Amino acid sequence: MTAPVIELDNLKVKIGKREILRGLNLELRGRTVGLLGPNGAGKSTLINTLLGFWKPSEGTARVLGYDVRTDARQIRAIIGYMPENDSFIANMPAISFVRMAAELSGLPPDAALERAHEALFYVGLGEARYRVLGAYSLGMRQMAKLAQAIVHGPKLVILDEPTNGLDPQARLRMIKLIQEMRALGTMHLVICSHLLRDIEETCEEAVILKAGQVVHYSNLEEERSSNRRFVELETEGDDGTFADAIELLGCACAVTGPGKIKTVLPEGIEVRDIYRLAADRDVQLRRLNFRRDSLEDIFLKAMEK
Amino acid sequence: MAVYKRTYRGYSGPVTSPLWRFTVLQRYAFKAVFKSRLLLIGYVGCFFAPLLLLCLLYLNQNASVLVLINQKVGFLKVDGQLFMNFLAVQGGLAGILTAFVGPFLVAPDLTNGGLFVYLARPFSRAEYILGKGMVLGSLIASITLLPALLIFGVQGSLVGWTWVADNLFLGGGILLSCLTLMAVFMLMGLAMSAFVRWKIVAGALILAVFAAGKGFGAVINNVMRTENGYFLDLQHLLSTVAGALLRHPADNEPISAWAAAVALAVFCGILLLMLNRKLRVCEVAG
Repeated sequence: MTAPVIELDNLKVKIGKREILRGLNLELRGRTVGLLGPNGAGKSTLINTLLGFWKPSEGTARVLGYDVRTDARQIRAIIGYMPENDSFIANMPAISFVRMAAELSGLPPDAALERAHEALFYVGLGEARYRVLGAYSLGMRQMAKLAQAIVHGPKLVILDEPTNGLDPQARLRMIKLIQEMRALGTMHLVICSHLLRDIEETCEEAVILKAGQVVHYSNLEEERSSNRRFVELETEGDDGTFADAIELLGCACAVTGPGKIKTVLPEGIEVRDIYRLAADRDVQLRRLNFRRDSLEDIFLKAMEK
Repeated sequence: MAVYKRTYRGYSGPVTSPLWRFTVLQRYAFKAVFKSRLLLIGYVGCFFAPLLLLCLLYLNQNASVLVLINQKVGFLKVDGQLFMNFLAVQGGLAGILTAFVGPFLVAPDLTNGGLFVYLARPFSRAEYILGKGMVLGSLIASITLLPALLIFGVQGSLVGWTWVADNLFLGGGILLSCLTLMAVFMLMGLAMSAFVRWKIVAGALILAVFAAGKGFGAVINNVMRTENGYFLDLQHLLSTVAGALLRHPADNEPISAWAAAVALAVFCGILLLMLNRKLRVCEVAG
């Protein structure tokens, strides 16, 4: 079995006398993991700890099997980090900036140059790669930050608020790029964002932090598939036996009001079976909804804990 | 694969030695620094004195030419005093070079958070300081240490290797004096660049540290009737150390060479601490 992407074992981090991370226990193996939490939850401290900038006061953290206490340098060699804040050198052309980043990660100059070209083309800055970064728009700078994060072929890419400040079009481009990177299957992604929709669209797993603790872990893929089995119905012309008929199909069923039924479809039963049953019994289906327990609901519930 | 084919692939090729990775920064910083033509001209101008001295050394041993100008062989005495004067001139130029180059080094990395891109890689703060410092260090070495050693070597080859053996302390003195000078200027250039982002002000402050130190030192000496004010005068401290190393101390030297060396070490230590603190803040704040 391969090492987890991120493994936190009672991780505690103190800054000064204040404990920011309070005993995190977590094992993440997904290809894309969303890191959520309100301001001050400890997301940045967790990222900084994974990068080796803060030492754990207790417990430990491992990234792809490397311990943050002892192997910070190896960890940084296999991580690509796209920071939330501006991170560029204004008077440097993008190509030089990305090439330098690759060289600092250990690539020889020729390979670094070749990969810098590729990375900039990949993020859509191919035509603008010789322009200085100071002349870039905010969206272009975000893409340049992404290019420097992936130029050295990292095994884990941490994206901190990747869609921050982007217009809807640029945001869509960034989301599409992240989805593409996930589909490639050559790297793991940790995405830290306040925008729940971004996490929902790109991640398989989500971790919600609050006050330095993990308050919720959610496997979004599983949630999505379980949501697809939960159906809410509104009927017309039901003589009160439709729910029983659904139960006879093998579905768990509850009547929540006149003509209102909630049911969970077991394996082998599909929505079309419900339609067929309604047609047979001459019952009108006025509404059929899949439950949509969105990440926002999950997040809000977690915040209430 | 052609780069314009929009794709991404992992990297499994060779990697460079981490030991020499600081030279990456040095290379990129050199490119940025020498974009300024004025600086390039100034830098070339710094070689005027060494070239002049090399010509004089040649003349010094060339009897046929010396006859024409009514001079005797050996009219120029090559000793500690000559190297003291040479280092004073070149040291002054090194100070000006530091004031011009220093502000280009750290400030641009701090202005838009570029530093974080370096430090989020297998690259430490110490390597960053070393890489950036080596830009100034190598420039200063090229106008002080290397010409001084060249002059020493040329004189040895002209006069004979017995002169080299008798004056070996000069070689060691040149080396240590120049290394001290490099350390002080290098750290001052980096620290000013880290704390003052406006390049002109940072450059002016580097020069002002010398002038202000000298001025404050003189005021303290006069008002308090002491000689401790000399500890604030960097120029004096450097020349005291160089004088002792080249065995040519000034008459009535008010402070000992050891005390001056310790003062310089403390000064460098403070600059290094300040620099480290500043970089640490940027490291964790992103």
